[in-house]
Amino acid sequence: MKNQQLIKVLLLCVWVTCYVMPGFSQAVVNPAATDDDVEIGIVEHLDAYLPDSISLINEAGEQVWLADLIDKPTVLNFVYFRCPGICSPLMEGVADVMDRSDLIPGKDYQVLTISFDPGETIDLGVRKKNNYLNLMNNKEKVEEAKTGWKFFVSDSASIVRATNATGFKYKKNGNEYLHAASLTVLSPDGKITRYLNGITFLPFEWKMAMVEASKGQSGPTINKVLRFCFSYDPVGQTYVFNVTKISATIILFFAVILLLYLVLKPKRRLKSI
Amino acid sequence: MQTTNAVNGANYLTYQGRYKGLFGWIFSTDHKRIGLLYLYSIATMFAMGVMLGLAMKFELLAPGKTIMDAQTYNATFTVHGVIMIFMVVVPGLPAVFGNILMPIMIGAKDVAFPKLNLLSWWLYVLGVVLVLAALFFGPGSPDTGWTFYAPYSFKTGTNMLPAIFGAFVLGFSSILTGLNFLVTIHRLRCPGMKWTKLPLFVWTLYGTAWIQLLATPVVGITLVLVALERVFGVGIFDPALGGDPILYQHLFWIYSHPAVYIMILPAMGAISEIIPTFSQKHIFGYKAIIASTMAIAFVGYLVWGHHMYTAGMSGTAQYYFSLLTFIVAIPSAIKVFNWISTMYKGSINIQTPFYWAISFIFVFMIGGLSGLVLGSLATDVYVHDTAFVVAHFHYIVFGGTGFAFFAAMHYWFPKIFGRMYDKTWANVGWLIFFIGFMALYTPMFYLGMMGMPRRYYDYLEEFHGGNILSTFGSWVLATGLLIIVVNLIRSARTGAPADANPWHSKTLEWTVPSPPPVLNFDKEPVIGENEGPYNYD
Repeated sequence: MKNQQLIKVLLLCVWVTCYVMPGFSQAVVNPAATDDDVEIGIVEHLDAYLPDSISLINEAGEQVWLADLIDKPTVLNFVYFRCPGICSPLMEGVADVMDRSDLIPGKDYQVLTISFDPGETIDLGVRKKNNYLNLMNNKEKVEEAKTGWKFFVSDSASIVRATNATGFKYKKNGNEYLHAASLTVLSPDGKITRYLNGITFLPFEWKMAMVEASKGQSGPTINKVLRFCFSYDPVGQTYVFNVTKISATIILFFAVILLLYLVLKPKRRLKSI
Repeated sequence: MQTTNAVNGANYLTYQGRYKGLFGWIFSTDHKRIGLLYLYSIATMFAMGVMLGLAMKFELLAPGKTIMDAQTYNATFTVHGVIMIFMVVVPGLPAVFGNILMPIMIGAKDVAFPKLNLLSWWLYVLGVVLVLAALFFGPGSPDTGWTFYAPYSFKTGTNMLPAIFGAFVLGFSSILTGLNFLVTIHRLRCPGMKWTKLPLFVWTLYGTAWIQLLATPVVGITLVLVALERVFGVGIFDPALGGDPILYQHLFWIYSHPAVYIMILPAMGAISEIIPTFSQKHIFGYKAIIASTMAIAFVGYLVWGHHMYTAGMSGTAQYYFSLLTFIVAIPSAIKVFNWISTMYKGSINIQTPFYWAISFIFVFMIGGLSGLVLGSLATDVYVHDTAFVVAHFHYIVFGGTGFAFFAAMHYWFPKIFGRMYDKTWANVGWLIFFIGFMALYTPMFYLGMMGMPRRYYDYLEEFHGGNILSTFGSWVLATGLLIIVVNLIRSARTGAPADANPWHSKTLEWTVPSPPPVLNFDKEPVIGENEGPYNYD
């Protein structure tokens, strides 16, 4: 009986530990959240339209208007090019799904990658674009993606308008940014129809998102789990340190309870052997 | 004293319980049978680890590729390390001799939770199977080194997950054994067995049990986090996901440095039993040894950073870790002084266990002193990640725990099997083993000082001489090992029947027949006021 209880307690500890810890590194999107509730992450603005007044600098260094570019299902991808964290895995994920999907970029849909760091120049964006195109295996797709995947930088006012409109919440922290990995899908007339969260995407969900966007239908966000890009900050004590502290506290708590129990509870004598 | 010889009588080896044959062993909750199950499993894994070690030394016989390529070498040293650390050295003395002897030494009929004890062994077997599965199935053997350092451990394409999960399960086995021992030592001591009358082996098991209970969950959780990162992409250690690889090293060493004390404390306990027995003299500084045991168990938690001097940490942290490392050397040195003082003016009876014990002190001192070279900041930066570290580590873990294991094996063998081994062959085996050990690892100190990095399958021509000697030493050591093992296996089957107390020792396990009866004692022993584990006078 005692053994059973002990095993139950141990299993409970393992379960609690396994359950609690991932919670520190991810957050679940709350569709009901408002702009004020969320500091970093995504506030979904499904069925909303983007404003017309967002200007961008394209790969040729020319000023263009975002509204003029959207003439087909469009994926908006906010990153900053010198990001040391999640942006590269995100764009690798985009390159991977473009490579594997049977839709033709530039014809069936387009991807617009926009730096939300106003200090960045388009030269770096062009270099990044070449890197990600090199990751694609399908030669035809690479040629199509040259026109179907466009990189931009912008000024701070346009960036704020674009990110506010899509609900993409980020925060500057030192020289880096804290932000989530998410893509916003727009219909040909600029309506937000879907959010794709995460860093890997299935060709099927990609195709569904584009087909629905082409019809102007909005759909629920399937992947509710957002991945965040926290930079390592020993002073600010990021989530990782909380994990260790909580685990250590749990372990020490049980150890102290055990010691007290063994020391304080009177020893029961075995009658005979 | 009960001196009857019970080889043919009803003892734990011949007792017929609920199940027959193999089932009578693998479902037995008798602590002695479980201890033997551990012995056989650990010996099997040890044999595998030795084979891999020999293969590595053979590869290093000459520069360039000798018998394996770089990737195979990486996998070989990884699997060698995982097997030897997690499956042999960490469970080693506590699981085998702790299980078989600790309850008898405190006058109990079994451990506090016999079923949990059996579960620990089953978990051990499950962990072993999982790790071995990583070798034979999937995309290739793990190749990260036994430390599973991030980011290798989630970037490598090899079969990491079963290995990580296996190590996690092995950790659980260790925790359960520790918990069982703690409760047993607190609760089941016989009347009169006060804390100050406990044999030192039991004291070291007690210190070890606390480390197992407190430190092992850390590595378990860390390995779960690596698995979460690999499977779900949760950013904890991977910089690309916002994680911190240095954090992994901290978490890993918070466990793994205390784990070195899980390995060495019971070894010191066994030596503390053997030296007084073969000196026929009360152990010198009984309480000092207890205090140093608990001090090692406590301070051992606070020195993990000395594995990471070159990994990136603040200068202040380095100073503290270095200082604490020097402090933890003091209790170890206290023990060495106590053992030597015990021998002084004792009636020394030179037998095989005593040879092993004094050679333990010799190699442990070399290992310990070379540890101070690594604990010092300036010299560590110079020899970090060289063969010097490998030599130090093997002097402590193989020279320390390994020698103590063989010492304990030869000491308690007549008690466990009820038969005496061939002493001449045992001494010959020890001598060859000792020479082989010195020849194998001593050149690695020199090679490391000269700058030969560890974990490479190739080396520069200038390191050739030292490596030839080292590889030659590995063959001598293997020869000695073979003699020892064959002698022990043969003696367990056909050796001369042993007396209950062939070494004239004073601890409780020698008062029961050899091998012990199923319930250990006919009637519960009572320790008198003037009796004690080392009262030879």
